[in-house]
Amino acid sequence: MSQSLAKKCNEVKERYDTCFLKWYSEKYLRGIGAVDNNECSALFKEYSSCLQVALKERGIDKLLEDAREDNKENDADLSP
Amino acid sequence: MVLTHTTNHAYAHPLPTVTLAFFLRYCSPQLNPFAAHVLSTDTISTHVDEATGRLHTTRIHLKKSRMPPSIMKLLPTSLTGGGGVDKASYILETSVVDMREGWMSTESRNLNFVGVLSVVERQLYTAATGPANPSPAAGNENTNVATTVVFRSRLGERIRDRLGHHQNQTQHLQLPSHAHQLAPTATDAAQQEPGSGWFARLGARGIQRSIESLASTKTQDQLGKSREGMRMILERLRQSGIIGVLELRKMARERSAEAA
Repeated sequence: MSQSLAKKCNEVKERYDTCFLKWYSEKYLRGIGAVDNNECSALFKEYSSCLQVALKERGIDKLLEDAREDNKENDADLSP
Repeated sequence: MVLTHTTNHAYAHPLPTVTLAFFLRYCSPQLNPFAAHVLSTDTISTHVDEATGRLHTTRIHLKKSRMPPSIMKLLPTSLTGGGGVDKASYILETSVVDMREGWMSTESRNLNFVGVLSVVERQLYTAATGPANPSPAAGNENTNVATTVVFRSRLGERIRDRLGHHQNQTQHLQLPSHAHQLAPTATDAAQQEPGSGWFARLGARGIQRSIESLASTKTQDQLGKSREGMRMILERLRQSGIIGVLELRKMARERSAEAA
């Protein structure tokens, strides 16, 4: 993937992305193993805690809240 | 004010590969030269619904502003942040994959500038079915994509996010004199109801409609490029598989790190 929003999260993001893409292509898409992507969840946790700080620093957490409110108003549903 | 644009497209690749390409499409400018405007990509949340087996993913992308200069010209500099052409937009992307039923559904929307223009793009990827391929999920070679983009300008209306003010506290610094005549300050302009101030003089509805139609024209061009990018990733996947793509990405990354 491209860079992370926050430089300091790049390294863990890179490891998570690689894990996710392997799991997705080799297991999820083939219906192999448990449905949950547990094998990447420890990495995701680490990545996420780094990212949350960056989102807050840039005020993006607030933008996300607003978007969720808008979604509720529009009653967005992703099912086809 | 709402403008909707709908297109249909087919990729000559099976659905699973196309969904993988969707996740990979901004992976590196070396793999997808049409993604050079994407500055960053992060996953905010991801989980598989145990009951349905669906994969839900939320990502946030930072892209160099796609707000066309023609739209920027319509707006007072106080709203566009001075050198607005270089401004970056945050894009929220949500996706759901259901391999059992054979579809992927995605939505992308801008998080800032929503006061000027909100663009919501929805795509539905489905395995192409025909008489020869009755089963949706099993080994079809083609994938159909239906894309709907909804443009909405709420310029001048009262909304929560006032033109990305959360991050842009400094954007009214360089205000040229002609913009002064149009907009007292960015905040004033955004808070004013239609019918007062510069919106009344210029016609808020007219400006909203212009913004929507300019953005629509720009987006049709952009959709073509985004398909080209997907096609390049798909070709790479066909040639070298996911492991090959991951290797290429790693090499590209190391090269750019050396160059930096």
